[in-house]
Amino acid sequence: MDAETIFYISIPSVLILILLSALPRYGSFGIVVAILSLLSIILIFVINYADFLIFPAITQALGISVILANNYTAPKKQNCIIKYIGGIYYATGYLTANIYGYVFSAENIIEGEEAQLGSAPERWEKIVSNVKFPFKYNIISSAKDIQKYREELEGQRGFLEFQISRESNSTNPNQMTIEALRRRVSILQARIDRISTGERPLKSIMYMETTAVGVSEKEATDALELQLNQLETLFSSFDISMTRIIGREMHFLHRFNYRIYDFKNISSIFQDQK
Amino acid sequence: MQFDAKTLMFVILIGAAFVLEIVIFAMPIPLIASVIAIIVLLCSIVGFSTKYYTYLLLPALRMKGRAIVLNADEPFIMSPSGNAIVIREGDSVYASSFVRIPIYRSATEMVDEEKAAFASMFGRLLTSTTEPVKLSAQMYIINKDDYINKIKARLNAAEERYSRLIANKTVDKGSSERIRGEVTMWRNLFENLSSSRSQALLVYGMVSAMGGSEEEAVNLAYQKAEEFAAGASAVLGVNAYIVRGDEILTLIEPNYMIPVETVSERIMQKNVEEAI
Repeated sequence: MDAETIFYISIPSVLILILLSALPRYGSFGIVVAILSLLSIILIFVINYADFLIFPAITQALGISVILANNYTAPKKQNCIIKYIGGIYYATGYLTANIYGYVFSAENIIEGEEAQLGSAPERWEKIVSNVKFPFKYNIISSAKDIQKYREELEGQRGFLEFQISRESNSTNPNQMTIEALRRRVSILQARIDRISTGERPLKSIMYMETTAVGVSEKEATDALELQLNQLETLFSSFDISMTRIIGREMHFLHRFNYRIYDFKNISSIFQDQK
Repeated sequence: MQFDAKTLMFVILIGAAFVLEIVIFAMPIPLIASVIAIIVLLCSIVGFSTKYYTYLLLPALRMKGRAIVLNADEPFIMSPSGNAIVIREGDSVYASSFVRIPIYRSATEMVDEEKAAFASMFGRLLTSTTEPVKLSAQMYIINKDDYINKIKARLNAAEERYSRLIANKTVDKGSSERIRGEVTMWRNLFENLSSSRSQALLVYGMVSAMGGSEEEAVNLAYQKAEEFAAGASAVLGVNAYIVRGDEILTLIEPNYMIPVETVSERIMQKNVEEAI
């Protein structure tokens, strides 16, 4: 949890706790206020961690759609963006698509990584040749500040080395723990070495989008569901993490078609992809 | 994004909740105190929600009917120079330019080392700039109507020539055979073209810039795009170029990604697949 989130959670929570401290003032309604207060705190945490459940549930219950721009609407389910033009509905849906095993930055120092990276172009071509509908694979990225990243890694390495020496000097040193720590040190060292060879670390978010057409909204959204399922199936061979994006994050992904935000803002938009 | 509005809304709601709490401590009537407490809870929840939903909360206050209108205008306008799109968000002006990266290499023609090198080239491309860049691979539908019409016209012309020839008894057998072969060729091409998939894959990069005016934003975005194009050309060994005019629309507008002329064909194809 970052500092901003802690700030936004703590202040309303303190206010609610103050409210609870005044329970005698509510007389016989005290129990109701107490229950509502506890529910409010729970709701704040749910909004923070799973607003993708709350927001679409509210819009669906109240039948509220969101007009993102002229001809672009997020329907009440908030699971796609519909463009209606010339009597045709174009429904666009989004999926996260983090290729953890194929990351471009120095994140993945595992055995066989090179072979895996080498197989990526061929796998990609096989998938693309099997896709029979339009889709986009997007990576938004920017290089990190090398010096800052290096210092961060060196700090982590120093802490692990301290843990190894503490474990080694203990009365009953656990060899398995020491091995695990040494392995983590070697991963960090490999990352540091990569930076030394000129490779720059990367901040990135990856997502996919696909568009389906229909002469009615339902036809377009039904076709979209099929396309999204097919993408998930086809890209499963890529060892890829795919999650349907709905609600607020989807609104912002739609904006990314027209404008890219800086990473400070992107981090505040996406809860999981930081 | 209205980050200032976000802070302002949070402060107002939390401030209101705090003032109401003071009122609760001074309120002797339990029922009124309880009602105020519920208002405080609502202020606290909405106050927290401003972290993520400021962009929706303000338009929701002006909501008419059952639609929250974030923007009633077009999402962008094309710059007069045609090499960028311009986006207005509040008082800020942004521009985005697009760089097409034509890649014609296939993994099937590479050895293992080349494949790994090819994959890592994209890593180098992405780390070539500290500015945020969007790199996209897009599969889109080609509007092949023009091409089909051209082939159909050739087929019609060949068939007409052939029917004229067979009507003329003096023509030698070799000439009529040649024209018949031509008709068969155009017919085969036409039939294959109609039945084959008409999709294409392209790769492009996108950069954005903010400016004090539309011209400034467009110039800055164009400059960034030129830098990115130069980097992409050098890293991948291709001739990357800045996209202009209608080609930009293919990259951002769904109705250009799936041209309207191809929609009936897609729906028919889908129905056939479903029936099968």
